[in-house]
Amino acid sequence: MLERKLVNVGFDRVVLRDRRPFGLATLARYPIFAPEFLDFVERVVPPDRHDALVYAVDVTATAAT
Amino acid sequence: MPYFTDADARSIVRTTYEAATPVGIDVAHVLYAPDELAGVPEDALRWAFGVGNPVRHAGLGPGEIVLDVGCGAGIDAFIAARRVVPDGRVIGIDMTPAMLARARHHAAAMKIENVEWREALMEALPLPDGSVDVVLCNGVLNLSTRKSRALAEMRRVLRPGGRLALADLVLTESLPEEIQRDATALAA
Repeated sequence: MLERKLVNVGFDRVVLRDRRPFGLATLARYPIFAPEFLDFVERVVPPDRHDALVYAVDVTATAAT
Repeated sequence: MPYFTDADARSIVRTTYEAATPVGIDVAHVLYAPDELAGVPEDALRWAFGVGNPVRHAGLGPGEIVLDVGCGAGIDAFIAARRVVPDGRVIGIDMTPAMLARARHHAAAMKIENVEWREALMEALPLPDGSVDVVLCNGVLNLSTRKSRALAEMRRVLRPGGRLALADLVLTESLPEEIQRDATALAA
């Protein structure tokens, strides 16, 4: 979906440079999340997704000429 | 149908980042190499809230004009600023005054002079069309309720052939609705 959005607004040569799972342990490193929120996420998200709630991606693209 | 209006989302994000109290430097050390962090004050490292390392993939060179969208406390802008000297410069944009104040403080401590800081929204960048060579964006696009608009703005300010280096969070499957409705989750 991100690649499609980039192309739709005028980017090309979209390249996925890196992709990493972003789970509860990673979330806990960020001080914007209180322990209560982390407990909430742990409670409502199935355990098999705790290590990869989302993915962090590094993407490059070029402004189409 | 979004769970938050644009105004609500901005208010939640701004409040969350203003209230943040960093305690460690784990995020910076996971995302950046030691040589990239050399000379960056430890206090600045505490404010590294990105999710990747877009500068690493941007291929920056001397003389380039770089825009850091959602610069936060400035860590990517600082790394970029060193790579575009002597004639290049970096423009750091953020919507949270408290984060910009931290960026200015750290830049002064590092004696970095080729970065300017501006308060603005990613969906309305205060720059002319085709005026920058590279756009950086680290863990910020996901905070917008108008992602396509923000991306279109990044494209607008890039010169033809200019590069975008973006790090962000993506879903491969939906999160439970309780999370989608949660204001704290929005700030991620």
